[in-house]
Amino acid sequence: MSGRARLVVFVLGAAGLAVAFVFALGGMPPFGGSEHPYRDLAVAAALRHVTPNVVSSVNFDQRALDTLGEETILLGSVIGAAALLRLVGHEKERPERAGGRLPDAIGLGCYLLLPVTLLIGLDVVAHGHLTPGGGFQGGVVLATGLHLLYLAGRYRSLERLRPLAWYEFGEGASATAFVGVGLAGLAAGGSFLANVLPLGSFRELLSAGTVPVLNIVVGCAVATGAVVLLAQFLEQAIRITGGAGPGSSG
Amino acid sequence: MPWVPDTAAAPLAVAVPIVAACLALVGARWAPRPLIDLLATGAAAVTAWLTGALTLAAFGGRVVTWTGGWSPRDGRSVGIVLAADPVNAGLACLASALTCCALLYSWRYVDSAAGHYHALVLLFLAGMNGFALTGDLFDMFVFFELMGATAFALTGLRVEEPNSLQGGLNFAVINSLAAYLSLIGLGLLYARTGQLGLAQIGAALGGRPADALVVVAFVLAIVGFVTKAAMAPMHFWLADAHAVAPAPVCVLMSGVMVELGVYALARVYVTVFSAAVPAAAVREAFIAFGVLTAAVGCVMCVTQRHLKRLFAYSTIAHIGLFLIGFALLTPDGFTGVAVYVAGHAGIKGALFLLAGLLLDRFQTVDEGELFGRGGRGAPCWLFLLAALALAGLPPLGPGLGKALSEDAAGAAGLPWLAAVFVLVSAVTGGAVLRAGLRVFLGLGHRLGPVERDTQTAGEERPETETALTRTPPTMLAAVVLLVLGGVAAGVAVGLVPALAAAAGRAGQTFADRAGYLGQVLYGGPPRPAPPPVAARWTGSGVLSGVVSTVLAGAVAALSLWLPRGARVRARRLRPAVDGLHRLHSGHVGDYVAWLLAGAAGLALALLALPAAAPG
Repeated sequence: MSGRARLVVFVLGAAGLAVAFVFALGGMPPFGGSEHPYRDLAVAAALRHVTPNVVSSVNFDQRALDTLGEETILLGSVIGAAALLRLVGHEKERPERAGGRLPDAIGLGCYLLLPVTLLIGLDVVAHGHLTPGGGFQGGVVLATGLHLLYLAGRYRSLERLRPLAWYEFGEGASATAFVGVGLAGLAAGGSFLANVLPLGSFRELLSAGTVPVLNIVVGCAVATGAVVLLAQFLEQAIRITGGAGPGSSG
Repeated sequence: MPWVPDTAAAPLAVAVPIVAACLALVGARWAPRPLIDLLATGAAAVTAWLTGALTLAAFGGRVVTWTGGWSPRDGRSVGIVLAADPVNAGLACLASALTCCALLYSWRYVDSAAGHYHALVLLFLAGMNGFALTGDLFDMFVFFELMGATAFALTGLRVEEPNSLQGGLNFAVINSLAAYLSLIGLGLLYARTGQLGLAQIGAALGGRPADALVVVAFVLAIVGFVTKAAMAPMHFWLADAHAVAPAPVCVLMSGVMVELGVYALARVYVTVFSAAVPAAAVREAFIAFGVLTAAVGCVMCVTQRHLKRLFAYSTIAHIGLFLIGFALLTPDGFTGVAVYVAGHAGIKGALFLLAGLLLDRFQTVDEGELFGRGGRGAPCWLFLLAALALAGLPPLGPGLGKALSEDAAGAAGLPWLAAVFVLVSAVTGGAVLRAGLRVFLGLGHRLGPVERDTQTAGEERPETETALTRTPPTMLAAVVLLVLGGVAAGVAVGLVPALAAAAGRAGQTFADRAGYLGQVLYGGPPRPAPPPVAARWTGSGVLSGVVSTVLAGAVAALSLWLPRGARVRARRLRPAVDGLHRLHSGHVGDYVAWLLAGAAGLALALLALPAAAPG
């Protein structure tokens, strides 16, 4: 289609959808209403399972199958990106170069922040069932924390701290562990992903049954997955050469 | 079921492929390739067995299992339900069986990207199984995204070819955009009902006539599904993706993934909206979109010479038929589509694999360049048999599905739709037959060189390490299994009375909204139902199948042996056909514009129609 025809079709379609959407918004419930069927059920269910962070209870207990699906999407996306960015034909790894110098303050800052960030990440993962946070959030903190080494100008030290094979292994292992927790529920509790561990009492670190376990599993999955994913893109940008690769060809 | 309780089969159908994918991913680092092949194929076979047993169990009544043990109290629950009936358990079984065949074919597939290929295929299967079996709208969305993420990567897997990334990218952009629209629809529904389960939303909406919010929410929620199903004008991505995807991946996409889109549309409408959005409006709208899809698919199919694109457009044409079958909104319509999908999956899957074999031997899938080179071995006869099956030859699978759908259309008071079914079968079957006769037997006139401006180029690389000189037994076995499956769907179901009655019961159970709500929300027993219309061959069905096969032969003969003078006169039609080809430009911006236009058209049609339609 010509650019003009494309624009006409697009504008007509978008305008039609917008009109329909405005119609639909007229039927929305009033803002700030008190009727909330799912909240009423979910909060009560979270309290029954001794999980003060209701969001975690929904994610890892009440609707844990969704979270298994989401973790698998992450796994599939990471594997997919790795497959699409693999070395083919004319692409070669560029020999290593000594990195340029950075101001010392930046390097020092990164080294100081690295342990702190990792600690915060672990804390966010471990307390996901008690306070805001959880496996997804903590996993991202952990993965990005590691990359402070890259900011500090040390791609090689990042590579040393990041044996990719092990991270890929960790990714597979954590997805398997999630399924394993689900199967344990099936075997012990009669249904997949049933919360079969002792629930403990409020404000204890060891409480809420399988919720903290799944938080840790997802934390591992997200941290390793994000590291592998970022590694693929960094490799592509830093280490791969090869003129007319599919990424650069028009 | 021996060894595994019925209620465990549905979650295991998701869990087994995920674990196997992780093992393949990790194992590929040290294990030899054949071990990974065996592991992946074996896992798919185990999943097929699990879902097959689940299907058998579901014929005795839905198998309902609440994950996490969150069974409902007073019809309310916070959990996610897996609700298997014969149709969706059968689709999961179909997905698993096709994956098994695709992985068997892939034993000689060279570049597994260090196990990533096997892992992606297995995760794709987990996504399809989860999507089919779940009874929760948001969970459907999650598994929809899993199917998407893995399928995008599989489509673009042959990264050394720029076309491949282009096809994968178009697929990803269009399907993701449609998924966002679906998510907005889910948001509207959640705002209205505060529920996420299909049965819960259905119960909350039920009874009251739909206002604008419910109609718009319905349209937005299904945009993702009908885009995955390649309903015109959201179909553009499909041919681009199928043209470049590895042949075994095409088997999964054409055989079951796009059909799952139609399934989701039907499931969501029947369970959630059928008591609110008037059936008459939905019927008219989707018959119209179905006929449009079938017409576009037919014209594009018969004017195609790139074999994989030809098959892809034939899939689009058949999706049009499946949409029409759904739009009848009757139990026997659902039965007809279910049988049709099963037969079509085997036959179309076999055709894609045969195209893959040609690619591996001759580095091209262009009908003209392959002229007479295919030889008269087993692939030749399998190809021609598949073409006749696609044309509706009794007693093969697609023919039975077609005949049942036609009968259902007649019973619904729309007998003229039978003509659409016959035409589509004749044109698509005729196009495939023509290609087969030309490629394998060298019949008809030779084609000129490929015109670069209309469609993709001819030169392609084989998917195996070196070009094949003969057909490896594993590859041929996969093809034979698929053809047998497609044939059996018609012979076994259509001629064995017990199976015919069971197939009829599948459609009946699928259409039974009250039974679904009762069993999922209140744990009620399966409701006794009147004896269904058996899915058996009838005289009129056989006749219609013979007619469409003869017409397909005529289509093939016309395009092979049309005298030169008539061919020149036929060129007058070229501008119209070329115009349609140019719409399929490969430009993702065009596709986005058509997606929005299609969604808007559907929304406005459904908002306007209830007022006009009686009831």
